[in-house]
Amino acid sequence: MPARPSQRSASSTKSTGKSASQKRTTLKLEPSTANTKRESSSTPSSSKKKGKEKEVVKDPASAIPQRLNTQDKSQLWVDMYEPQSEVAELAVHVRKVENVRNWLRESLDGGPSGKLRKYRRVLVLTGPAGTAKSSTIRVLSEELKFEILEWKSSAGDTFVNAPDFITTSSWVSDDTMFTKFRLFLERASKCQNVFKTSPTPLSPYSSSSSSLNPTQTQRIILLEDLPNILHASIRSQFQDVIRSLIENADPDPVPIIIIVSDSGMRGEAGDERLLNGAWGHDDEGAFDIRSLLPKDILHGPYVEEIKFNPIAPTLLKKALQALLSRHFASQKSLITGQMLDTVVESANGDIRSAIMALQFACIRLSKKGKGANPQVLMESITRREQSLALFHLMGKVLYNKRKTDPSAPSATAKDIKKDQELDRTLEDLPALPPFLSEHDRKTSRVDVNTLYADSPIDSSLFSLYIHQNYTQFCVDVDECDGVADWLSWADSSGGEAWYQVNPYRFHLLALGTLHSLPTPVPRLNQKVCKPEFFDNLNKEKEAWEGVRDVRSWIVDQGSDNGWNISAWTPTAIATELGGVLRARDVTSSSMPSATRRVPTGHRAFSRLRFAYPKSDRKSIGGQPLNEGDNGEPYSDGAIMMEEQQEIGMWQNREERERDRVVNVADTGGWLESDDINYF
Amino acid sequence: MSLWVDQYRPRSLEDLHYHHELSTRLRSLASLASSGDFPHMLFYGPSGAGKKTRITCTLKKLFGPGVEKLKIDQRVFLSPSRRKLEVNIVQSNFHIEITPSEAGNYDRVVIQELLKEIAQTQQVDLNAKQRFKVVIINEADSLSRDAQAALRRTMEKFMSNMRIILCANSTSRLIAPIKSRCLLMRVAAPNAEDMQAVMQHVSKRVGFDLPPDVASKIIDDSGGNLRKAILCLEALKMQSPDLSGVLTIAKPDWETYCHKVADLIISEQSPARIMEVRQKFYELLSHCIPPATILKTVADRVVERVDDAIKADVMHWAAVYEVRMRIGSKKIYHLEAWVVKVMSLYKHFFYGMDLTEFD
Repeated sequence: MPARPSQRSASSTKSTGKSASQKRTTLKLEPSTANTKRESSSTPSSSKKKGKEKEVVKDPASAIPQRLNTQDKSQLWVDMYEPQSEVAELAVHVRKVENVRNWLRESLDGGPSGKLRKYRRVLVLTGPAGTAKSSTIRVLSEELKFEILEWKSSAGDTFVNAPDFITTSSWVSDDTMFTKFRLFLERASKCQNVFKTSPTPLSPYSSSSSSLNPTQTQRIILLEDLPNILHASIRSQFQDVIRSLIENADPDPVPIIIIVSDSGMRGEAGDERLLNGAWGHDDEGAFDIRSLLPKDILHGPYVEEIKFNPIAPTLLKKALQALLSRHFASQKSLITGQMLDTVVESANGDIRSAIMALQFACIRLSKKGKGANPQVLMESITRREQSLALFHLMGKVLYNKRKTDPSAPSATAKDIKKDQELDRTLEDLPALPPFLSEHDRKTSRVDVNTLYADSPIDSSLFSLYIHQNYTQFCVDVDECDGVADWLSWADSSGGEAWYQVNPYRFHLLALGTLHSLPTPVPRLNQKVCKPEFFDNLNKEKEAWEGVRDVRSWIVDQGSDNGWNISAWTPTAIATELGGVLRARDVTSSSMPSATRRVPTGHRAFSRLRFAYPKSDRKSIGGQPLNEGDNGEPYSDGAIMMEEQQEIGMWQNREERERDRVVNVADTGGWLESDDINYF
Repeated sequence: MSLWVDQYRPRSLEDLHYHHELSTRLRSLASLASSGDFPHMLFYGPSGAGKKTRITCTLKKLFGPGVEKLKIDQRVFLSPSRRKLEVNIVQSNFHIEITPSEAGNYDRVVIQELLKEIAQTQQVDLNAKQRFKVVIINEADSLSRDAQAALRRTMEKFMSNMRIILCANSTSRLIAPIKSRCLLMRVAAPNAEDMQAVMQHVSKRVGFDLPPDVASKIIDDSGGNLRKAILCLEALKMQSPDLSGVLTIAKPDWETYCHKVADLIISEQSPARIMEVRQKFYELLSHCIPPATILKTVADRVVERVDDAIKADVMHWAAVYEVRMRIGSKKIYHLEAWVVKVMSLYKHFFYGMDLTEFD
């Protein structure tokens, strides 16, 4: 332990110099697997830390004065206060850390039974940016005493070191970079370090020192800085490498940890990209674990995914307070409690951004002295995109508040005052001529442009939310008519070609909905629900599977050379074949050979029972939306499904194959007696 | 035990039971073909009228029995965004058949790639009767505009190696340049006598006596869709093997379902009812019933039940939303928008309000 502070501060000094002067000194990362590391990872450690680390609270007290003296002004707090060794310092929920720790234990020692090791090959940490994913691993590496071998792409270096090389480097590097990556992985997973590393905990940045302790340190491979997997071929290569690592039966595997930050699904991304003339919906934008690893690996036995949630406000606040009290140990804190609240509120659980905001605020406050208005300052610092929660977005649109509307009964005095202030800034619209009087509305309190800028979801999802929920907010069918017509119009206004989404769809929908809804919307305890669209899309997909099965059955039956296949289009099967199939189901139960039977899949589309709606049931359907829900309200894969809808339901071979296997496996049990009684 | 529809489908132009003039015409066209003179064709007509049967018969006339040796291939195409599309292709040595709607929005890619490939290859089989290959495009009316435009160019360019036969329900969704490049073949729905004859023929082949009144009941119900009629006959025969007693010809589940949805719309007009109707639509959609069919069936039923004064409006809006549905991507919006519109119309009519503002 005594060695650490000095070591740490040495590295800090260097990085300080760096961030200050923008010149990169190279902090040699001693290669732990001999040359692989050397060629690939001479990246300065700070280039990494700058972006990826989030620190929370404190460092051992001894280190603090030293740092404050030397680097107070220029070093990022994010780097200065990264938690080092104590799990308690992490602002992550204890259970989450426990999950990761368990996995690591099992992967290193095989768990209690010692057999789990085989299955703990890859751990995937996902979650929004700034949720202490990497820090957790680093802290645990201290605690569990393992060594981290980290891959770092050197692309960044090329740019910095040779600015005149920029134009070509990105092209040159792709392939060779990947070769390096593969070599790194292979060697890191197989070779032992020539210089056995010391078991004493070292800061991972200076990862292996030259201590010649013979005991073997356990290692993990950390992949955070991935190769350019947006490139299709690189991605498939990457997947192959991972697959081969997983599948080889190494008795002594080195676990791999992959850290993927969910990139924000920024609202209008789709639309805007199209505006810029880009083609595809897919591949770009949403980069997440599903695009990184294929389904069979991700859901296979060797891979485990742990999702990190945005850091809870309470934890975040506690961590920030601890940080502040450490930073202003001797003096009075510049940050007031209210300011801290603002920071916490606007950070959306991103601790890195919260700390950045704090530091920035401190710098500004200390410079300007008392003159500056802290309120204004905080506002300018904490304004972030994506800070409008979905829940509030829907509330704003659906409650359709207009000038001089009476406040909700539950509103607090503060809210009422805010509303009044807002009303004062709103101008009255000029009155419409008499023949348009039905369109007369008071000025809306909702600013659609701001809404659009802050929306966490894209216009397609936005429209689904409106669609799911508007009926509750309407009193009359006529109002519904307005909203439904706008939905329909906006959906079809893109023009003939499928890729032309109307760029103003969001605005049109928001304005159209606001215009159509009654004013004021009666408060009836409405609950905003998640769209059911995707569930039904899923069901439809399954039903198409059934159609497909039946079609191949028809082909099989068309004994003589299959002359008739062509006459059966999927639609014809779905709409016309139901009766016969059901009749066959009944009669064929007595038939001995299973091959003659109609595939059971047809039940997905041939049966349709009508249930009259119960009058007492309030059918809002769907799952209520919660305040905490962010832009991804649907269960996993919704985006994929929507794309799939665009491609056509018929396309989905992988799944079909899998289902078929399942079907075959179930052959025995596909005609239960209660199924027959059905008729 | 294949379906009767398939088992007793006519195999050659001579075996066809109705539309004899059409058969004669096709025969003479096919015999012309040896001199290299065979046009692109567009078969259109309601479903179950026998378009595909006539196409396959024509092919047999053109190429001989070899055309019946089919194989199914799975082909992979790359969409512009490098997504893989898999499309099933039925082909023999002489023709190839695709259903481009399988490729959804990317049908243009499939059409282009495939046609180009076929057009660039020559028939190498010396025994082949014709020098050209035939491409059959099913459900041509569901082709996107893009795909149709692509098709149009190809039809002009590659006439020497390839003929295209399109099969569609209606020509109205095809662009004019395509229509003008094809010989139009209208296959009308068979009339009741034709259908009666076919049904009797089928029952004789199967080996039972079909009472004419049962047959005509089925025919009444099938609306000129012969396939539906024969399927119905088969189902009926399976349920009550002697075809006696009170026979109820069951409509397909989805049809009854649609009718009940229409009743829901008429019986109450409120936001809550809209949600209920939406559930029903979701249910229908998830049973693979095409949205246009749903809209049509429900609209027909609604029109039956409402007052004359608003019938025209109901249908007008059905047409409007059907077009939007075709362009848009989320079908449920348009179905629902129509329902709400109808509810609104109905309600206003009911309360005797002025309707002019809805035009």
